[in-house]
Amino acid sequence: MSGKLKTGLKKVVTFFSSAGPPADPEVLEESFRSHYRGFRALLTANNSALDLMAGMERALTRGRPFGMAFVRGQCTALTVNVYKMIHSLQEISDGKYQGLSPAFEEISGKIEEILARQPEVPPGEHVLPLSHISKEDADAVGEKLANLGEVHNRAGLEIPAGFAITAAATQYFMHSTGLQDEINRLLKTVDLDDLEQLYTTSARIQHLISAAPLPADLERQIMDSYQSLTSADGKKPLISMRSSATEEDGSGASFAGQYRTQLNISEDSILETYKEIVASKYGSQAIIYRHQRGFRHQDVIMCVGCMVMVDAAVSGVMFSRSPRDPSSSLVEINAAPGLGRRVVEGIVDTDYYQVYREAPTESSHQGPGKVGGHLTPEKQRELAGIAISLEEHFGVPQDIEWSIEESGKIIILQSRPLAQLSQEDTVFIQAADAQGKDLLIRAGLSVSRGTAFGAIFKVHSNVDLLEFPKGAVLVVEHPIPEWASLMNRAAAVVSETGHAATHLAIVAREFGVPAIFGMEHGMELLENGMAVTVDADSCCIYRGKREEVLTRSVPPPNLMVGSPIYHILEEIMTLVVPLNLTDPTSPFFKPSQCETLHDLTRFCHEKAVDQMFTFGKVSGFAAKSAKQLVGESPFQWWVLDLDDGFRQGFDVKQKYVSWDDIVSEPMKAIWDGMTIKPWQGPPPVSVKGFGSILFRSTMNPSLDPAVRASLGNRNFFLISRNFCNLSMRLGYHFTLAEAYLGELLTENYVSFQFKGGAADRSRRFIRVYLLRDILERYGFRVEVKLDALTARIEKQPKEYLIERLKVLGYLLIHTRQIDMVMGDQSMVDRYRRMIIGDLDEIVKPNSIGGE
Amino acid sequence: METSEKIRVLLVDDETDYLEITAKRLARRGYEVATAADCRTGLAILADSPVDVVVLDLMLPDMDGNECLQEIRKDQPSLGVIMLTGHASVHTGLTCLENGANDYCLKPVPLDELVEKIEIVYRDMRSGEKKC
Repeated sequence: MSGKLKTGLKKVVTFFSSAGPPADPEVLEESFRSHYRGFRALLTANNSALDLMAGMERALTRGRPFGMAFVRGQCTALTVNVYKMIHSLQEISDGKYQGLSPAFEEISGKIEEILARQPEVPPGEHVLPLSHISKEDADAVGEKLANLGEVHNRAGLEIPAGFAITAAATQYFMHSTGLQDEINRLLKTVDLDDLEQLYTTSARIQHLISAAPLPADLERQIMDSYQSLTSADGKKPLISMRSSATEEDGSGASFAGQYRTQLNISEDSILETYKEIVASKYGSQAIIYRHQRGFRHQDVIMCVGCMVMVDAAVSGVMFSRSPRDPSSSLVEINAAPGLGRRVVEGIVDTDYYQVYREAPTESSHQGPGKVGGHLTPEKQRELAGIAISLEEHFGVPQDIEWSIEESGKIIILQSRPLAQLSQEDTVFIQAADAQGKDLLIRAGLSVSRGTAFGAIFKVHSNVDLLEFPKGAVLVVEHPIPEWASLMNRAAAVVSETGHAATHLAIVAREFGVPAIFGMEHGMELLENGMAVTVDADSCCIYRGKREEVLTRSVPPPNLMVGSPIYHILEEIMTLVVPLNLTDPTSPFFKPSQCETLHDLTRFCHEKAVDQMFTFGKVSGFAAKSAKQLVGESPFQWWVLDLDDGFRQGFDVKQKYVSWDDIVSEPMKAIWDGMTIKPWQGPPPVSVKGFGSILFRSTMNPSLDPAVRASLGNRNFFLISRNFCNLSMRLGYHFTLAEAYLGELLTENYVSFQFKGGAADRSRRFIRVYLLRDILERYGFRVEVKLDALTARIEKQPKEYLIERLKVLGYLLIHTRQIDMVMGDQSMVDRYRRMIIGDLDEIVKPNSIGGE
Repeated sequence: METSEKIRVLLVDDETDYLEITAKRLARRGYEVATAADCRTGLAILADSPVDVVVLDLMLPDMDGNECLQEIRKDQPSLGVIMLTGHASVHTGLTCLENGANDYCLKPVPLDELVEKIEIVYRDMRSGEKKC
């Protein structure tokens, strides 16, 4: 685009310079009108750009999920608006600012580059034996398998024999199918709120992948690796095939149970199963999960672990620390006879053990099994010892899947960081709170803390799932991983079976959704549509809304932080938001110093105002020259009418304008604010404060507040009926206020910029903070960088904005000499109280405190 | 809004569902709406009847939206044109503006946003024509 932009701008420049200086008033009038059109277009683009920047910043802090479509869309719209501003400025300045296009090209080019960046897949082997894998291989085989390799090869524990089919293999397969473009197209059009559509699309994509042929050499490599697992007696083992996606676990996102795991796979179905697991990347809950957690689809590549089936007598899951109470010194173990899968899916009732870390001989047991359960005290201790050693090895608490063979040997199947250890430090609410006639059930285990209100919705099957309304309380028999696709819709989860180690519990904790599992008879006792309050802290469900319980609810966690898409937006923001050009009088206020899109908007805006203000003077056109305002004011003001800011019939050839001639609403509002309270003269000053200002004045005499003569021509209003731009350089302060009050709500705004001051740095900061506090009180969105402040309000009704303009008018007058008292905190507080007292009289009380 | 008479909008888009729905909704908001499913039909309408603002999809079956825009600009340099696209790209956005589009927005565009853009483009065009 760079070349084109240059040509585009050049055309504009040529047009204007060849037009020559007009002399005829009609030509001048037309020329001014065209300048004014450009100026308005620039202001519109400026507002859109600032609005988009604010939206991007909100996305980072608000925690709601956003995808690449959002990031790309915002970036596109933003660069388009900045381009429009540059284009408009070049139009009204006769192409004066050539440096803008290279600066813009550089910044937008960098943004495009970030947007286009793809995750790198390390080239390498298609299959790797588990015995060759360690933690560092996470990019090649996924975090899950890398950790498992580490468990064996470095921590010295038993794992099943097996091999990994790597990310490189999956990339090779997917590339050979040529399906990726079609898959991306299908994903782009899917609406994640429409579960039915999502299910159809997900099924279609998975079918496409499963039906595609594997490259012959990859088939051979996989089958050769399988043959190497043949036991000494020539028996071909059954294997388990487990998904292990890159980016899984490592980023703080659990991906628990999102992808497929298949057990008891025989030789003839290995290849089909491999493709199914690769396809499970596009399972509906996995698609939703990635969206919620800020992953692009390409950030996740499916690897598959193929491991000899363990002949398990007992299996389970253990946590090296309690996921609900990280400070506790207990290892928690869930165990059930047979394979471990039913434990993580919460389908079977399990033995639950707590083993003291410091004294492993002491443990407690609850569960349906025989007395003491399925684990002997020795095995409990041995398992707890393993949990502690793995926590030490990996450096963070672990969530571990294990099996015990008939021979008694413990085999580790998975070890990963324990998800979401620290929920808010809410105090566990005990029985005292759980009273009252509205109590419906009190039972089960708190697997994810918090409270919520919603209507009961029971889900038996995928069909019910499609009907699940946003904000309902999900009630199920078993907490199987498929229900995870409802975690962005459910207010709370209740399950008849299950425990803290199930995948659904992990995902519920991650999403901050309160959950009670093991609540027997939940499906019977709770009726569809019944409005209930769920208190997962004390495992109680109440009929109706219990406000005193709900006050304990905590805001949901920001799931986007740290995700790949979050990082992309964060990196782009460094090219967007920081404002380096804050002082228009600085020698560095020039195009080549623009490092961000915000700098460019600031530069264009400033220069456009200059161009408009000086139009009359430069062209010698009296009608569009600034008029001096006549009236009572301590300062000299010049006013330039852009369009219809003076009353009809005003003689435009005059050099002066009186207050009665002005019909600009925003200007009147600012003026009202300026004059609403008389300025009571400079405040009493401590010797030190005054001294510091005098000192700076000596160093730079042009900043002396007493030097009035040089100030006059710096205070001006550009106006139309709906618009006002005020630039002021009073003493040491540079101030700019601007507003548009029109018919389209979306076009309305008030903005304010403030910079500089006479006092030393710390005093200037105190003043900027004082201004920030006051402006925020009246609903402005404020940003402060060093001693520069910018504040905005947009898209509000005219009346609301008029009040804010009065606030600005007041502040312009009444904070201007506060510098001198800024060293004295008690004086600052006194001024703050006085200012807020005055302003609360101007602004309607119900609109104080935000928009 | 200076709407003593209706603003005339031409929608050019090959997604006929979208086209129909948007046309109906704009008509309900008081616009006079014409539709075309490809560029050639769009250009024919422009040649025959007065239009204030064109909303032009970037991907059209018979011609690239940018080429279509250039065709429009040959005869009607000051007609308001808003480009629409389903695929956001900084490069594409800038190319549209360089080719003389008045604005550029992403699908799906909420109706309120589209209306606002139409109003602004129309107003800017009118302020270009009218005497001051």
